[in-house]
Amino acid sequence: MSEVRCVSGVELLMDYLEGVLSAEMRAALDEHVAGCEKCAAFVASYCETPRILRDATASTLPADVEASLKNFLRTRTTAFGRN
Amino acid sequence: MIVPTVEPSDEALAARAAAGDDSAFETIVRRYQARIYRLACRLTSDTDAPDVLQETFLQVYRHLPSFRGESQFGTWLYRIASNAALMHRRARMRRATSSLETFLPRFDDQGMHAATPAELQVAARADELLDRQLLAKKAREAIARLPDLYREAFVLRDLEEMSTADVARTLGVEPATVRQRVHRARLMVRGFLGSLVEVKS
Repeated sequence: MSEVRCVSGVELLMDYLEGVLSAEMRAALDEHVAGCEKCAAFVASYCETPRILRDATASTLPADVEASLKNFLRTRTTAFGRN
Repeated sequence: MIVPTVEPSDEALAARAAAGDDSAFETIVRRYQARIYRLACRLTSDTDAPDVLQETFLQVYRHLPSFRGESQFGTWLYRIASNAALMHRRARMRRATSSLETFLPRFDDQGMHAATPAELQVAARADELLDRQLLAKKAREAIARLPDLYREAFVLRDLEEMSTADVARTLGVEPATVRQRVHRARLMVRGFLGSLVEVKS
């Protein structure tokens, strides 16, 4: 198990983070990453990727879109109106 | 004495709405419209999102009587929205976009990373190094350039922050499949982010 290379570390990273790897495999990956500057850098950027995309795409509902939705549902359903 | 107001659960509202209570349906719309709009923007585009939003809630209204509560209401709603987004993408002529495959990590013949540590790390700093507006534009581009299957899994898991189990239920696939798709998407997006930032040598 000491034969972990960067490529297998990358392949197993998601399973590692989700906790579905065996303890033995986890330990082997931990050992590799601890001694591999490149993998440490890779893991850092891999882990930050979801947050960066999440923050960059956090749209808020514009008032006119909300109003259009209400109007649309008023014409197609019995909700939003008639009172 | 202050009596806390207890908000009715989604499932309780769904049951009332299914029985014809329009005010319960309106509450569902108000509760979820901002989240479904954000999801629609992520799965399609700002231009298409208003249509997807409308289509989603119309489908919800029509299909509420068949919602039996075997799944969580949120999961059911997200499935409807994801399908509406997918139909929308298919319905319009999509401009051929080049794949993000080229941004997957590269390895040497020993199976070790080919890039330098600085190059490998830089994607983590894309948000400090790039202008906000540019990053927002590029983030949308990255999502749009993912294969459909990867996009859905990535958006639900990483951007909407659903659990892997809930994404699996929403998409009707195994958790292992979700993990595989999200992983591929992360690899591509990570590489793409890194490519936007110049590494000083």
